[in-house]
Amino acid sequence: MQEQTQNWLMPLCQYLQATSWATAIRTSLWAYPFVQLTHFTGVSLWLGTNIAGDLRLLGVGKKPQTAAHVRDELFVWNWIGFCIVVLGGFLLFSATATSYIRNPAFRTKLFMLVPLALVWHVFVQTKTPVWGQASETPSAGRLAGLIELLLWFCVVMAAVEIPNYNG
Amino acid sequence: MLHNVGEVMENWGWVHYVSTTAWLYSGISAIHYFTLFITVGTAVLIDLRVLGLAATRKPVSQFAQQVYPWLWGAFWLAILSGFLEFITDAGDYLPDKVFETKMTTILLAVIFTLLVWRSIPKAETDKGGSLSEGSKILAALSLIFWIGSILAGVEIAAISGLG
Repeated sequence: MQEQTQNWLMPLCQYLQATSWATAIRTSLWAYPFVQLTHFTGVSLWLGTNIAGDLRLLGVGKKPQTAAHVRDELFVWNWIGFCIVVLGGFLLFSATATSYIRNPAFRTKLFMLVPLALVWHVFVQTKTPVWGQASETPSAGRLAGLIELLLWFCVVMAAVEIPNYNG
Repeated sequence: MLHNVGEVMENWGWVHYVSTTAWLYSGISAIHYFTLFITVGTAVLIDLRVLGLAATRKPVSQFAQQVYPWLWGAFWLAILSGFLEFITDAGDYLPDKVFETKMTTILLAVIFTLLVWRSIPKAETDKGGSLSEGSKILAALSLIFWIGSILAGVEIAAISGLG
């Protein structure tokens, strides 16, 4: 199954890797770290806003605002963070696409954990106005927040493993 | 000299155990990255709020009261897990100039975050108006140093191959 996905995606990866921008990122000493900086800044904003929402659903820390307020206040920057993550991630991927696609940790992250966490995040974000109206969140909301927090932790864990599988 | 001190630390029994136990080292790394992202993300959110660019519907004191405990909680976990990662390779990290730059940048980011925190009015006195220019300058500097610390972090791997 994994090999089939790899074979199907390989021509696209080869095309991406041969583009002028991917070559520039790969061959320059400074471009790659700056693209990494873009990706990591986006991840910080994305995870910071996601986990803030989850921790408020879980009732961790002080509670001057309801979970619904926290969600509303952070919504725009949450998705700005996501756009930065995708832009930085796409550029990083393009630079060495053919080795990324062979990497099992990367495949687990991109094709399994990220879609799962993203769908769950949209679900939680959609339900938060209902769960988060009062200061105390119902059990379903707390459980949903905990699951999202763990899913994003798994995404980071898979990302940390990527260099260990580089052939 | 620094290299030798680092090598002595690397050879302590429990440090050797951490560095040679793959699942433990990976777990510590994941905790470090995860909590670091949350630290930077929440610090940046507060800076954006002080600059009037995020979460402007409620008074800044209320937002700060909500977010700071998460910021400091994640920060201390990042420090602890970062120290555990550092000590397994202390002999190489200690004399490394880019690592020194990263630590200095993080220290400056923390100092400016603390200064921003001090400049935010207390909940009892916060009327919900715009903050002073001084607070905004502190927030802008905090933002720059936090992003700078990420840059220094990625440069360690690019220049010295550590991490």
